[in-house]
Amino acid sequence: MKRVSLVAILFASAAAPVAAQDQRGFVWNDRPALVFGDNISVEVKGRALLEWRKFDPEIGEDTFNLRTARIGLAGELTRHLGWEVEREIVWNELDDKVEFGEWKDVYGEWKTFDKVRVRGGRFKMPFGLEQNTGVSSLDFAYRTGGSNAIAPGRDRGVMAFGDLGRFNYEAGVFDADGDNGESNEPQFVQQGQDREDVGPSVAVRVSGDLLRLLPVGRLRSASLGVAYTTSDLPEGLNSLRGEALWGADFFQHVYVKGRRQRLGAQFEWTPGPTSVKAEWMQSREQRNQQSNRNADLSDFIGEAWYVAGTWFVTGEGKDGNVKPRRPLLGGGIGAIELAVRYEYLGFRSASTAGTAFTNPRSDHQVPNSDRAWTFGVNWITSRWTRVMANAIRETIEDDSRAPLTGTDSYWSGLVRLNVVF
Amino acid sequence: MGRAGQLRRVLLGAIVAAAMATVPAVSRTSDDLFNPHTLQRIDLWLNAADWAKLRQNFQKNTYYPADLTWNGITVNNVGIRSRGLGSRSSTKPGLRVDFDRYSTRQEFLRLKSFILDNLTQDHTGIKESVVMRFYERLGIPGPRETHTRLYVNGQYAGLYGLVESVDKTMMGRVFGSINGNVQNDGYLFEYNYVLDSPWRFEYEGPALAPYKARFDIKTNESHAESTIWGPIEEMVRIANESTSADFEQAIGTRIDLPALTRFLAAQNFVADHDGLNGYAGMNNFYLYRLENSPTHVLIAWDEDNAFRQTDYQVDARITENVLTSKLLANTTYVSQYYGVLLEAADSATGWLQQEMQRQFDLIHQAMLEDRLKPYSNVEYETARHSLLAFPDARITYVRCEVSKLTNQALPSGCR
Repeated sequence: MKRVSLVAILFASAAAPVAAQDQRGFVWNDRPALVFGDNISVEVKGRALLEWRKFDPEIGEDTFNLRTARIGLAGELTRHLGWEVEREIVWNELDDKVEFGEWKDVYGEWKTFDKVRVRGGRFKMPFGLEQNTGVSSLDFAYRTGGSNAIAPGRDRGVMAFGDLGRFNYEAGVFDADGDNGESNEPQFVQQGQDREDVGPSVAVRVSGDLLRLLPVGRLRSASLGVAYTTSDLPEGLNSLRGEALWGADFFQHVYVKGRRQRLGAQFEWTPGPTSVKAEWMQSREQRNQQSNRNADLSDFIGEAWYVAGTWFVTGEGKDGNVKPRRPLLGGGIGAIELAVRYEYLGFRSASTAGTAFTNPRSDHQVPNSDRAWTFGVNWITSRWTRVMANAIRETIEDDSRAPLTGTDSYWSGLVRLNVVF
Repeated sequence: MGRAGQLRRVLLGAIVAAAMATVPAVSRTSDDLFNPHTLQRIDLWLNAADWAKLRQNFQKNTYYPADLTWNGITVNNVGIRSRGLGSRSSTKPGLRVDFDRYSTRQEFLRLKSFILDNLTQDHTGIKESVVMRFYERLGIPGPRETHTRLYVNGQYAGLYGLVESVDKTMMGRVFGSINGNVQNDGYLFEYNYVLDSPWRFEYEGPALAPYKARFDIKTNESHAESTIWGPIEEMVRIANESTSADFEQAIGTRIDLPALTRFLAAQNFVADHDGLNGYAGMNNFYLYRLENSPTHVLIAWDEDNAFRQTDYQVDARITENVLTSKLLANTTYVSQYYGVLLEAADSATGWLQQEMQRQFDLIHQAMLEDRLKPYSNVEYETARHSLLAFPDARITYVRCEVSKLTNQALPSGCR
């Protein structure tokens, strides 16, 4: 009953067609806002993603899922300063009540100049095209395994960034190494020792339309980027790990110590109503003194890539914010987009000498990977609402470490309602 | 030395090296590992942090990777974990060693695993290994055992019992081939002592959950619950519902009654008060349902509590247990029971004390040097002298008691 009420409230609020008439006071363009004057405003942000899911074979997941519910505020304090706070709203099943969950973005920004801006607080580290795309703007219901497992995600830090014309740059220093790279098991803490965490880390990304310099026709508008991170890695079961789409580990943490580095490359091209996106990323983690006999082990390597394509059959342009040419509430059919993606996420050791073991201290790790096809249809009914349908075929290389031991391939399907303002 | 001399030396060296390289490696088997006449040495090498973690978290079954060396053979990346119930220890952890933990194809001397018994509950250090050797003489299935000095990262970690795991490999070894079928794919269960719920074979209803809780499946785990535990529920129900008159016919196909009688008598002879008819219900055994058969047999396990007292009653707690009370209400089996007791007394005569002495001699120095055991060397010496006095007194007691119960003439020495 409470779920139904929540959905109804979100629908009602999101669908209310209140437009801004006066750029002072209460204004509702894309979202409700209080405008106090030039460049002084507070906007209210909200989003809810609700899913109905089906699995074959059954893997013990719920068929209904409130994927995300968030509420936030964002605004400007003069043209020099911006800020944003956002927090998750979660359903506490034990106490049967709605409560606040994890803080998401919490940052302030100095933005006087386009070429040099500075952001401080908690926000996404500049690594991963898809990881840095908001969940409500994704072309598919779920990010790829690589974006969740290798890309670092959010952390506390300070970052300089800017637009240099052909290039954009982002460079930051962060407290740890992102939510996706946080420590699983601290270094074995002897009496008198302090617990260590992953970090600090440094992340850099450069992107731009490099192909504009080449005779590649329409591809000249494509954007290319490279990214790099490096961080200290304390001793423990602290490596990155392979997680299948629905949460089961297909590659568990291994013992690491030393340095974690990531290298990434991204490609994005959005000609007319279509888009092509691709990413490749690799992580390398040192395993100093981590063998059974305290000797160094070869690096632990994670690798991921994907290629995705989309097409608005109703003709909307893909570049920028998509607004249906014929919104549902205006008597049209909304915007309909077809999407397909193929992805890979795998983990292995640099060494392939001798027998391979699954032991977290083995020099030669038994490799394992997850490959998935995702087929999707997105129905964008208004500026605030979208319905997504995805069918996913996932295959785990080593079926002894699959969600169901001995079963390597899985179908899953979902229908998601996105409400975002 | 001249040039010719140098050449001769080089040639001689090359010949010796070639000869050494071609010496065939001595093939070793699991019989060598469990050779009861040898005090073994096993070295475990594991990351220093892991050994500290294992000892700190000794109540958990977390596995840690290690390399193992025995007799010049090294097996890399085995899995070890703390094991035991009351014997768990942080200073001298009992260990389970799994060779296939991190690679399903890895084995050692064709073994998938073995146990390193920390001997913390037996001040003599030899009770279990003596009992298993004695059972072997009586034809009762049980694991092979010997002793080993254990070294962890080069440091002496104490005297341990080296115990064969009760698993498919052992079933194949013990039962061999029946009707052309090697007995390595039946249903093997470890009896799980459920705390605060002593059980004496009472029927616990048609639901399988209580039997599942008491009998941990060790093979064919993926089979349907009704296939795994259904026959156990059936066996317990039949045992409870049958009368003394139809007991043998009703349950004879479900459990090997002659083998059960032999097991019961042998365990009584060694005065184990924590076994099939233990002081707190059934405990410390494995149950194996033979391949393609409804028949179950018992496997001996954990005899640390043997040699309790020389005058341990020959019919101790028989009537407390549904299965054993009905079994020994049958004249055929009660007769067999007394027969096995006398057979055990005969087998023990001259052998049991000698075997104890031999094993004491084998472990003595290693035991004295073991500074991690939870008892002193004085306590060990006391227990040793007490145990050596057990066989003669027990043999006499059993012979006298059986004679009294079967109305035979009393042998000399009876009171």
